[in-house]
Amino acid sequence: MKASARLVVALDSHGNSVVRVLRSMTPLTLVPARRVGPVALVHLVSSVTAPLGGDSLCLTVEVGPGATLDLRGVAATLVLPGSSGEPSSSLVRFSVEGTVSYLPEPTVVTARANHTAVVEAELDGHAELRLREVLVLGRAREPAGSLSSSVRATRCGKPLLHQQLVVGDPSVDGSVSGLAGRRVVGSSLVLDGIERKADGGEWWSVVPLAAGGTLATALGDDVVTVTRVLDAI
Amino acid sequence: MLTALILSDSRFPGGGHVHSGGLEEAAARGLVVDEPTLRSFLHGRLVTAGLLAAGFAAAAARGEDLSELDAELDARTPSPAQREASRAQGRGMLRAARRAWPSARLDALPRDPHQPLVIGVLAGDPFEAALTCAYLAVSGPASAAVRLLGLDPFGVNAIVAALPVEDVASRACAELPALGSPALDLLAEAHVRREGVRLFGS
Repeated sequence: MKASARLVVALDSHGNSVVRVLRSMTPLTLVPARRVGPVALVHLVSSVTAPLGGDSLCLTVEVGPGATLDLRGVAATLVLPGSSGEPSSSLVRFSVEGTVSYLPEPTVVTARANHTAVVEAELDGHAELRLREVLVLGRAREPAGSLSSSVRATRCGKPLLHQQLVVGDPSVDGSVSGLAGRRVVGSSLVLDGIERKADGGEWWSVVPLAAGGTLATALGDDVVTVTRVLDAI
Repeated sequence: MLTALILSDSRFPGGGHVHSGGLEEAAARGLVVDEPTLRSFLHGRLVTAGLLAAGFAAAAARGEDLSELDAELDARTPSPAQREASRAQGRGMLRAARRAWPSARLDALPRDPHQPLVIGVLAGDPFEAALTCAYLAVSGPASAAVRLLGLDPFGVNAIVAALPVEDVASRACAELPALGSPALDLLAEAHVRREGVRLFGS
């Protein structure tokens, strides 16, 4: 299945963030909340089982100056293999002049899945972004399939964060230099004007990035432990 | 080729011997205790942090813009402790290199450059630069393991010799990697917060 969806949010003359363009395409279904206010709330709903092997999904999001978008998931994403054995891919591209929060639910990489996920965000000088990702390596008692997940965030073209995480190779997932055998890995990227000090514990940290912004990272054996760290920033 | 050999030599006075690449923290926590756990640690380090560093060494050797590479590597190194370790090793290597191989390209490096960029400029050849960088990504932690854990040097050497260092160097030449290693970042951050005696800078 090939699908591309588009969402444009802008500030109207009353100071409300309003959805100007909303183009869904199955399985990427965008559901705006029926309310008017300074923050536009939109849920991203997967309207059929996706991503499956062979799928290619693309979502483009634009947020204008002064506007705020809260984009959320509603359920965990199961990355599944297709009958063809083909890989699947997803691309989410943000162009931000206002403020965006993108908090999808966890992604579960099921056995034999082969998925590439890319998130790209370009921010202008004053834009703010909050981005979360939680990956679960397989369902209960199941080995993880293959997943490559990349995030690249830039401000006025300059790189702030560029990270690729690859899971599904047991020799790396199990290594103390890889994922240290943990089943859940999460990160939360916050690009705003607030400076946060480095902090951390055994398998978590909150760190200031070189060119501005903060990244929280956590490894754990369950989603609750990991998201508790990510919620703290 | 001679330059690459000198840079890889543990006698090269670049200050690399004070960095364990996360091994000290892993050993202190009892996560690396013997040859099998060291092999797993070094393999994971090579194919993540080693590939990333080697890719940037290759790009610097190809003549790409050094300030842009420095900013791109910063963006791929979220841990401040890892950034500081990379820049400290770059600084140490640059100090020794200025005497041995002065050049205009060396002077074009940004202040306190990341180590892979220095290696790339000095090696000149992308594959040799990548190979040197990938090897250093595991040889430092390997010798730290001998010192910290009292492992058999012959056994540790055999582990390093069997690692796919050349494969990683070849892959590093193909495209600029962005591969992260969350556990190595967390070990590096925990290491700088650790109270008490630390033998290594990272």
